[in-house]
Amino acid sequence: MADKLCALRTFHPARGGEASGVAPGAGDQSFSRTRLLVRRATPFAAVAAIFAIQALADARPVLAFPLYLTVVLLVSLQQNRVESIAVAVVAATALLIVPLASAGQTSDLAPAVLLAAVILGVAIAMSALGRHARDAAAETQHRLDELAASERRLRATVESTGVGLGLTDLEGRWLQANEQLTAILGRSRDAIAGTTLVEGVSERDRTALTEALSLLRSGDVARWDADVSQLRPDGTEVPVALFITKLPNTATGEPLLLVQSRDTSVSQRVDALRDCAAAVRQVILTSAGLDQGVPQVLGALCAYLAWDAAEFWGVDPDRQVLRVRHSWNASGAVVDGFLHLGRRLAVASESGLVGRVWKSGVLAADADLEHSADFDRVESARSAGLRSAVAFPVVDGGEVVGVVELVSERSRIPKDDEVMMMATAGVEIGSFIRRSDTAQALRRSEADHRAIFERSPIGIARIGAGGDLVEANPALLGMLEHDQETMREIAWPELLHAYDQAASRQHKAPFLAGITDGSSVQVRAATGAGNWLWLQLTATPIPDSSGRPEHVLLMIEDVTAVRETSDKLAESLDAQREANANLEKLDRTKSEFLSIVSHEFRTALTGIQGFSELIRDGGLETDEVRAYGGYIFNDADRVNRLIGDMLDLDRMESGRMTMRSAEVDINDVLTEAVSRAAPSASNVEFKADLDPRLPIVAGDRDRLIQVVSNLVNNAVKYSPEGGTVTITSRAEGRFALVSVTDNGIGIPAEEIGHVFERFRRVRSGAAQSIPGTGLGLTIVKQIVEMHGGKIWVESAVGHGSSFHFTIPLAPEGAESLQLRHA
Amino acid sequence: MPEANAGGTAVGQGSTAGTFIVLVADDNEVAQRLCKRVLEKAGYGVLIAADGLQAVDIALGQRPAMILMDVAMPGIDGLEAMRRIKEQVPTMPIVIASAHSMASDRERFLAAGADNVLSKPFRLADLIAIVAKLASAR
Repeated sequence: MADKLCALRTFHPARGGEASGVAPGAGDQSFSRTRLLVRRATPFAAVAAIFAIQALADARPVLAFPLYLTVVLLVSLQQNRVESIAVAVVAATALLIVPLASAGQTSDLAPAVLLAAVILGVAIAMSALGRHARDAAAETQHRLDELAASERRLRATVESTGVGLGLTDLEGRWLQANEQLTAILGRSRDAIAGTTLVEGVSERDRTALTEALSLLRSGDVARWDADVSQLRPDGTEVPVALFITKLPNTATGEPLLLVQSRDTSVSQRVDALRDCAAAVRQVILTSAGLDQGVPQVLGALCAYLAWDAAEFWGVDPDRQVLRVRHSWNASGAVVDGFLHLGRRLAVASESGLVGRVWKSGVLAADADLEHSADFDRVESARSAGLRSAVAFPVVDGGEVVGVVELVSERSRIPKDDEVMMMATAGVEIGSFIRRSDTAQALRRSEADHRAIFERSPIGIARIGAGGDLVEANPALLGMLEHDQETMREIAWPELLHAYDQAASRQHKAPFLAGITDGSSVQVRAATGAGNWLWLQLTATPIPDSSGRPEHVLLMIEDVTAVRETSDKLAESLDAQREANANLEKLDRTKSEFLSIVSHEFRTALTGIQGFSELIRDGGLETDEVRAYGGYIFNDADRVNRLIGDMLDLDRMESGRMTMRSAEVDINDVLTEAVSRAAPSASNVEFKADLDPRLPIVAGDRDRLIQVVSNLVNNAVKYSPEGGTVTITSRAEGRFALVSVTDNGIGIPAEEIGHVFERFRRVRSGAAQSIPGTGLGLTIVKQIVEMHGGKIWVESAVGHGSSFHFTIPLAPEGAESLQLRHA
Repeated sequence: MPEANAGGTAVGQGSTAGTFIVLVADDNEVAQRLCKRVLEKAGYGVLIAADGLQAVDIALGQRPAMILMDVAMPGIDGLEAMRRIKEQVPTMPIVIASAHSMASDRERFLAAGADNVLSKPFRLADLIAIVAKLASAR
């Protein structure tokens, strides 16, 4: 290598030309034809000139011989054999011409022939020598040619390599440099001469490089490499990988430094692009939202791609304009004014750089903002020292949803790989925006639903597909007086059971069978505190993405108040209905009462009116008048009794009747009653079985007589001719028990429960003929009960009836009274 | 208490020439006596029935010229007795004499087939007029 580089120096004398070891012109293939002819003709011309001088001087050939010999020798040395011999022949001929022409002067011919022979011999000998010499020269030339070709190849290699190569002395002064190195250094080859390696790098790298040269000089290291920044005369810097090797110089013996310098700006940009893409992706993947993520993306673009500021322009959906949504300042306060202006702008489609990008959907760059045709913030950009801008679309699903604008203080046009990277970033940001929008919409929706769930006055429960309670809202917990856990463990299973029961009653599907009609059921449920509520349950199944019910939302309303109101309404309606029925019954009873009473009155009045009319009209016998008067009297008396009964009952039932309470001998009462009844009861026989030791009772004697008389009269009325009415009395515990028994027609079983009701006279069969008010037994029962006793009846149709009643004994009444038998 | 005169006092047969026989069916003795006294004095023959079944028996057996029928009677009531009699002898004139004397009762009785209705208590002249009217129609 060293040898070749030494050779390289011969071709490219950077420091001026150096002597070549090869004869000038030899092997030079660029001789002109003219020059060749001149060269070839020159010896002949010389011979001719010598001959002319010899002839003119009429000199002797021997005098011209040295001249001829000189020409032939020169030609032999320089020309090929044929030319040498040809010149020798011509010279010999010239020597021979004069002697031959003088013909007789043989003395001159012989020496001339000798001289000619010498010349020919010399020429032949010389041509042989010259051929040998030419062969050697040709060999040398061939080697040189090969070396030159090799050097050309090497040079081409050196020149065409991407690596800058150069040689310096041990002080770092440039001796040689290839094209790449000059490009890297940013200087012409001439300008490089005299400069040093150290002064060509940035100031921050100079110390290290100086130290490295020192080490190389001292031989402590043989090679050194580092990444440094090459400083160009125009002030720009180029990142390079520097590799320095110490070489021995075979030509001079002084060591040299071989410097390799590789421009790493391309690979660094590729790395930056790759890192930028990764950073953008990282931001998008980890960012919580647009407000956080987009500025970080802008920051990454600025940092990795070395832009000074960035803005994200979002499409305003309402106004159809672009507005700055986010910006990033990587350069400092000087750019603030520019960014501030951008935030106030609304950019229409196709307007300016960003508007153009929005419209076209493809990246656009402007490397000279100062002289831009359409950049909309020229003044502001100038103030901020910004010289170039690039804008690329943010795309989502083929639609431009925004534009990212990057600005730089340098004039730059993004390279293809940068363009590609930005396009990719635009798509990623676009999908990020959509995801964020979707996520935000979801969060908003979730927040809405959460608020509804939490704040709803209606109880809401989320039920899992398995029927488990997932969550109950506060309203539900408050309503049912449970906490979340007891709600889940206790209240919900009961509620589910109640739901299914209620649904079953309404022929609806059970809860977990899936409810689709959204209808409600009402159930009764106990709260945690034990209060009973009416709950209206409305279930809504929520399907998952495949349409299967994923869970069920259950709305629960406390309808207790409504239910209770309606229940009360129903109750009061029932009560009203019952009251109405009672009123109707009472009405019917009253109508019936009136009908019976008026019938009884009119029946009685028929006799009274008819017979009194007869008497009035006169013409009667005395006996007739007396008899008719008796009828009239009886019927009038009956009417009077009816009226009395009615008034008595009315007084008793309204509580206006007062009882006198005195010591009463029941046996006495019985005797009195029978004695009153007997005169008009000739058809029956009375029997009395009275307990003589029966204690006295406390009561109203007249009322008790009324009771017994009524029973006795009834017994008589319903007794057949010759029947027997039996009256007994005895003590029964703390009561006096009285029975009045007949062997009359009896009371049918279906009537026996009603005999004490007013106007419930036994109407069927033979009893129909028995007159009465229908109030007698009712009055009897009232009087007995007012005394604190009871009354009941035993009867069989055709065998007679037995009425029993009790009257409490008087507290002090241990004394027995003698029965005064009638 | 019903007296032993059930069966009444027949003054000739209803179909015998000259005498217009009235059957008085009433469980009330006073009413029986009053009607008997008034109608006999007016020249009619009187039969007495004390309940519904007696009324049917006498009406079908003795064929009075007409019947003065009470309603509220033991056994079968006057309306049922009237139905049975009319079933056998549709042309038998029957006058319902009842103390059920509301307007609705009158309608009820006529609807049940009564030829006339006499409300109790009645004026003697009204009784005689009703009977006389039927007698003259015959």
